[in-house]
Amino acid sequence: MDMIRTMAGIAALTLFSAKKLLLGKKTIISILVALFVAAVMGYAGAQDVEPLEDGTNLLDTLILFFFMPVTAMIFGSSLIRDEIDDRSITHVATAPLDRAFTYVGYYLPLSIAVAVSMVAVSTVGFLAFFGQHRMGSEELEVYLEFLGLVVIGSFVYSSLFLAISVLFKKPVFFGLFYAFIWEGFVGSLPGAIQKASVKHYLRSIGSGWVEHGDISGFDQASSVWGSAVLLLVLMVFLLVFGAFLFREKELV
Amino acid sequence: MTGEGSGPQSIIRTEALSKWYGEVIGLNNFNLDVRPGITGIVGPNGSGKSTLFKLVLGLIRHNAGTITVLGRKPWGNADLHSSIGFCPDYESLPVDSTGREYLALVGRLHAMQGAELSKRIDEIAKLVEMGRALDRKTGGYSKGMKQRMKIAGALLHDPELLILDEPLSGTDPLVRKDIIDLIKRLNRDHGHDVVVSSHVLFEIERMTHNVVLIYKGRAVASGDISDIRDLMDKHPHNIIVEGRGIAAMAKLLLDRDYVVSVAFNDSKDSVTVQVSRPDDFFDGLPTLIDEAQCSVTKMYSLDDNLEAIFRYLVGR
Repeated sequence: MDMIRTMAGIAALTLFSAKKLLLGKKTIISILVALFVAAVMGYAGAQDVEPLEDGTNLLDTLILFFFMPVTAMIFGSSLIRDEIDDRSITHVATAPLDRAFTYVGYYLPLSIAVAVSMVAVSTVGFLAFFGQHRMGSEELEVYLEFLGLVVIGSFVYSSLFLAISVLFKKPVFFGLFYAFIWEGFVGSLPGAIQKASVKHYLRSIGSGWVEHGDISGFDQASSVWGSAVLLLVLMVFLLVFGAFLFREKELV
Repeated sequence: MTGEGSGPQSIIRTEALSKWYGEVIGLNNFNLDVRPGITGIVGPNGSGKSTLFKLVLGLIRHNAGTITVLGRKPWGNADLHSSIGFCPDYESLPVDSTGREYLALVGRLHAMQGAELSKRIDEIAKLVEMGRALDRKTGGYSKGMKQRMKIAGALLHDPELLILDEPLSGTDPLVRKDIIDLIKRLNRDHGHDVVVSSHVLFEIERMTHNVVLIYKGRAVASGDISDIRDLMDKHPHNIIVEGRGIAAMAKLLLDRDYVVSVAFNDSKDSVTVQVSRPDDFFDGLPTLIDEAQCSVTKMYSLDDNLEAIFRYLVGR
């Protein structure tokens, strides 16, 4: 009975929060990002380009390494924190559901919402660029490989930014620092320091999957399987750490 | 006083319970023994009522002492929530959801689903008279409707114990009467034990005679409200009397044994009378006016507010 109650509680919270993230006020963020990506990739596609190489690089730069961490930061740093601040978390905190499982009930919809949003944005960008050129099996392959990276990245970044939202009272500031300074700058530096970013391991996986663009020739890449295992371990660690923090947190 | 006697009937029991937030004390050496029925928690704003409820619900952790709710410790005990319904004093409804969506979420979090949940939502909405507003966004509800919807959320899973934090706050008199009637019905007809807080004593008095007075994080008195009223009557009352010929009345007042002191205010037409037995003062007032041949245009007590009563009870 306890297990059924727990699963029902996680499912209820997942549905409610996913709906809030995907169909609530934050939908506007996804729409704006999609319009921006469509405009940039559409314009680029209209120029004299090497479609597979340039299209892959654009997906790489725009989606994987900019909009995905930023979207995960915007969604993740506000999901639990907003409910704590406006105290609408009360009905969840007073439900017969262990807080650690409640945390999972927030993590799942966050990851799903980030992934769905980024898959939609990637699709819009892909169609805007490759729609002006040939769309054969190679292009579709690149598209699907990027979707795979987007899904992996969504789950990893969501675990990171959700934990940050429980750890800090003003998670957006820390989230901005992490997304722009750490991932954006430190993650691009040459040498071993870039291995301290999620971006490095996503690129490493990408280098083993994608056969076009700069990502295919990523010269500092770690092994694909090693990177996948490391991201999995990081995600599980952040999930357990966030759940522990949330369980011990006083909701005043 | 609180804290005496325990046993299987104790719903909430605290012993020397303390909670502080940094240097601010929320509850201080707090003793309480709540029995079945309706119990009113009365105290001015900032007295510790909400802190007590958060401890009861396990939302915060206490620093010292003990607390048990329905025989169990609340911190880290999520199972306890299936026996408790909570209506907070702040706005907690998700504004982008309809009442039905909110209740459905609360129900599902309590493992209710399908036709059983839909039926229960309709039942509860009817009980709190919110049937017609169920499919409207809660962001558009009036204060009274929000209170009813929060009470509905607290009742949905049919809990043994209902915790209602200031359910009458900000509501108009008609809504207040409806909510008071509802709370009495929930106990009488549906068997819920209710702990309800307010900073207005007479509102609680309309729901129950069993009250606990809280002030500055301490339970200063508890028991039957008539005992507390007796205690309050012993509190020297300061009464302002204004009118013409008040000086003659002041002279006569000095001879009365229930008068502690008489002091003129800014003008000779206004005096502050401190009395030890206010009932005797009010009973004898017509005779006094007659004897002094004066006319009283205005009279009010400085001590009709809870703050003054609490200050007295703490200082006694």
